[in-house]
Amino acid sequence: MPPASNDCEIEFRNISKRFGPIRALTDVSFVGRRGSVHAVTGENGAGKSTLIKILAGVHPPDAGEILRDGQPIRFQGPADARAKGVSTVFQELTLLPNLTVAENLFLGREPRRAGFIDRGEMRRRAREILGHVGVELDVDDMCGDLTISEQHLIEIAKGAAAPSRVIIYDEPSAALDAPGVEKLVRLIEEQKAAGKLVFYISHRLDEIFRLCDVTTVLKDGQHVATRPTRELTRESLVSLMVGRELGQLYPRRSARSGAPAISVNDLAINATAARVSFEIKRGEILGLAGLEGQGQREIVRGLVGLVPHAAGSVRKHDAAGETKIGEAIVASVRAGVGFVPEDRKSEGLYLPLSIEQNIGLGMLRSASMSSRARIDKTRVKTLMREMNVRARDEKQSVGSLSGGNQQKVMIGRWLAAGVDVLIVEEPTRGVDVGAKAEIYRLLREFADAGGAVVITSSELTEHIGLCDRILVVRDRAIVAEIDGAGATEEIVMRHALMSAPGQGAST
Amino acid sequence: MMGRSARRFGRSGLGYVAIGLPLAMFALLAAFAPEFLSLQNIVNVNNQITALLIVALGQLLVALIGGIDISVGSVVSLTSVVIVSVNPALAVPAALALGVVVGLANGLGVSFGVHPLIMTLSSMTFLQGLALLWLAGSGGTVPAPLVFAAKTSAFGLPAAFYWCVAAIAAASVLLYFTRFGLRIFAIGGNAQSAGLSGVRAFWPSLACYVLCSLAGVVAGIYLTGRIVSGDPTMGAPFSLDSVTAIALGGVQLSGGVGSVAGAVLGTITLGLITNGMNLLGVSPFFSAALTGVLLLGAISLQRRKVIGI
Amino acid sequence: MSGVAMDEARPGWARRAAGRLLSLPIAYYGTAALLLFAAAARPNLLQPFLLLLILRQAAPLGVAVIGQSLCIRLLSLDLSFGGVALAVSYILTSGFLPFPEPVLIAICLLFGVAIGAINAFFITRLRASSVIVTLAMVLILSGVVTAFSQLRAPGDSPEMLRYIGQTRLGMLPITVIVWVVALIPMALFLRLSVFGRYVDAIGANPRAALTSGVPYVRAIYVAHIFSSLFAVLSAFLLVGFVGFGSLSIGADLALNSLAAVILGGVGFGSGKGGVLGPAVAAFMLMFTFNLLTSIGLGEPGKQMAQGAVVALAAIAYAARGQERAH
Repeated sequence: MPPASNDCEIEFRNISKRFGPIRALTDVSFVGRRGSVHAVTGENGAGKSTLIKILAGVHPPDAGEILRDGQPIRFQGPADARAKGVSTVFQELTLLPNLTVAENLFLGREPRRAGFIDRGEMRRRAREILGHVGVELDVDDMCGDLTISEQHLIEIAKGAAAPSRVIIYDEPSAALDAPGVEKLVRLIEEQKAAGKLVFYISHRLDEIFRLCDVTTVLKDGQHVATRPTRELTRESLVSLMVGRELGQLYPRRSARSGAPAISVNDLAINATAARVSFEIKRGEILGLAGLEGQGQREIVRGLVGLVPHAAGSVRKHDAAGETKIGEAIVASVRAGVGFVPEDRKSEGLYLPLSIEQNIGLGMLRSASMSSRARIDKTRVKTLMREMNVRARDEKQSVGSLSGGNQQKVMIGRWLAAGVDVLIVEEPTRGVDVGAKAEIYRLLREFADAGGAVVITSSELTEHIGLCDRILVVRDRAIVAEIDGAGATEEIVMRHALMSAPGQGAST
Repeated sequence: MMGRSARRFGRSGLGYVAIGLPLAMFALLAAFAPEFLSLQNIVNVNNQITALLIVALGQLLVALIGGIDISVGSVVSLTSVVIVSVNPALAVPAALALGVVVGLANGLGVSFGVHPLIMTLSSMTFLQGLALLWLAGSGGTVPAPLVFAAKTSAFGLPAAFYWCVAAIAAASVLLYFTRFGLRIFAIGGNAQSAGLSGVRAFWPSLACYVLCSLAGVVAGIYLTGRIVSGDPTMGAPFSLDSVTAIALGGVQLSGGVGSVAGAVLGTITLGLITNGMNLLGVSPFFSAALTGVLLLGAISLQRRKVIGI
Repeated sequence: MSGVAMDEARPGWARRAAGRLLSLPIAYYGTAALLLFAAAARPNLLQPFLLLLILRQAAPLGVAVIGQSLCIRLLSLDLSFGGVALAVSYILTSGFLPFPEPVLIAICLLFGVAIGAINAFFITRLRASSVIVTLAMVLILSGVVTAFSQLRAPGDSPEMLRYIGQTRLGMLPITVIVWVVALIPMALFLRLSVFGRYVDAIGANPRAALTSGVPYVRAIYVAHIFSSLFAVLSAFLLVGFVGFGSLSIGADLALNSLAAVILGGVGFGSGKGGVLGPAVAAFMLMFTFNLLTSIGLGEPGKQMAQGAVVALAAIAYAARGQERAH
């Protein structure tokens, strides 16, 4: 361990944390210094969010300790952490939709006079805070009525408002528009100048190189390196994060794509959204890319009929003819479309049930409810072997599997069901690198066998590495179509942030 | 769902139905039941809705944190039994203590992970049994001060009016002027997010269940004073009626959205319907059935995300 | 015997013996404890003749429990049994509908289908809370029936139902046979059919069932229609057993069935549950009520027991769930 020098604000010492069978962090140690912006980066599932949640007081570490000024500190919860000078801007919105901007900013530390809430004071101070960040909003607006981007700015203002020495930003730019990002950058530079320690969690290389003085890389829950950013290049940083060449991770693209499997015509996810039209061809993997919350999720969910759409139609084409789908998920599944949701624990899997039951349900997709349930157990076993599912046997409950194996079970359900279109949200969220490659291979094999795949992903590298075609979604419209082989992060980001002239989205 | 109405009415949940329904009822009754507008009848309506109003305000608190309390009717009944059964000097403190115990039991069960409907359904049954075990039928002597408090009048207005004003004022101060009030809106909006802002759900939720039971106790004291007798089943309709009242008043049973005004308007709607049926000579059993229909209608207006319990 | 049968109802549940014992329904331990207690304190309750009588009392509840358990496994709840039983009793005994007995019985069955479908409609399409919907249904049904019965009071039960309710085949009351005959096909159906698999899936994770295209809404319709039909059947047995219609018939059917299902090891949100556990629990409850009556705690004692049983069992399962989550 390096000795704590006098500008050391926070030291992580041998932090470990596990969630059930999954090791989120193993023995992580590094130091964050006063007056610096400190990037914490790594792929999805590397342990970034867990680490900052430990510093934010949300989770206690299983082992190890956090030191401030050389003294161990423990937090009893987020409120305690904030009281002790560590404030956090979480990636997920923590604003209450039914509270006003001012109420949200002061929730948990409401100003009081004579025992009652002092609303005048609260409004006044809220205006000050918003003015400081440069947000022009009425402090009496309900947060539920604001746009996602505005809500994130409020979230950032909330973190800045608390008197603190350490400020954590967890993927803060994910849902900000360009002016919002500028405001954030100004704020962070101000905080750094004031001698605060800023942790900046992100996997966006541009932002890391622009903003951060020091970069810590995590991989698979382990600390890889902490270096001054100026000593790093893009290539060296990527290789630290991934630990291997990109080419090995992704399977070879297929040369040809076939007839359309699904055609989407004038689909509007709600009354005010633009209408989108596109085709998904057999043999291809299509990516819907874009900043978080731009409508990719609603488009794929509308496409399968999980959420109602305001206008438009979706058709599936088979050898036999075409079927209208997208009205109800039950009918879409019967027509041969499988959907793999992003949150596998709450929406995808039946955790208490066995692998066999989870996969077997797919085989029942076109059976009538009163008929006898026939589950081909040999097929389940074959699939488990082919997909390389690591489990005791097919009777093991899915809840006790690791993330990667759970993901394979979800995909296996649809392979067993014999569908020919797969819609996959975030195919590798919370999955270790080894399983990632296997999942990419599974999806590619599915496409090569004549299936069609659509993915959404918040990881640009995934789109660029895996997809044959990338559609960029911005403000609920498709603003660009990019050939996967020629795509780069810069090209996709340019379209995702701002449409080029001539390609503007209809508003 | 929240979209436009939230913009206009904030988190009060008030909308056209909540505001329009009592007005429409009032207009209809004024037009078709001549004696409706008489002073005596208005006083009657006030008397009839007082206990329900107090219970509905308690129910409102629980609903705001996303819970529900259908044991509150049994609390009303049991209060009535306690009032006529224990030493008159101890009657009110004993009843209040009972409310605290019931509220704690409900709140602790719910925070332990039991679904609020299951938890309060079971305490509703248990307490109803206890009330019947203690006092088999109506009877007993009600302490004179309680009768006075429920039936007197001052400055030309009946006691019921003052009970209502006091209950509304207490609920309003609690909800709109204290930290506690703001925080229960926050917890009902999203307990997890509130937790990340340092507002934990446990104590405020527990307090809401205790306050709801206490509201049942207060309503029971008032009602026992009014009818000058103990009755081990008199509270039974209040459990569902109070839910109906707040649901009609735009209070979202999923939590975070609702208002004192909504609870009051919902209670008035129910009171006017009962009164109207009475004036028009409809069988009281049919009006119970109509309450069921209203309850179905009111909760059908609130689209939840989940299907089930 | 019970352990083996449980395993048959839940295929592939190879757990270690200790874990298996712990996951057995509370009803098995409860019944054993009660029988031991009765053997010590009230041995006369254990005469075969009395046990059969209690079994006969338990039959209507047992039939209702089949439907309730289906609803609960789908994370719904049906508290409308009381209202349904009341309406069925009125249709059968008031002479309000001037038809022969078989027609009246058919009308009652159709009525059950209709109520189940209406409940399911509100629960699925309008996403209203099943507890509130079905309680509101009781308010409506009992309000209407009570109002009607001022015009025409209930009378004697149909001959056919009285025969079923009051006759024995050898030692066995026909009522008990009806219970078993309803139970076995349902158990087989749940174990073998696609519907049974859907019930497991929805109970384990309703949101996953939605995203993977399990016909969730239809399954709830089927469960609630079954549930109301079993409530009608239960009312047949009650009306036949009592011999005449009444306005208090089946009033505690809903709560008792809820208690029995929870005691019988069907937990909310676990997706698990056999058919035998709840059946044993139905017997256990009836035995408890008889025990309470024999020690001088009548109707109020019953209600307190119902409330306490539901609360304690729900808390116990919540505790088990928390343990599993950690």
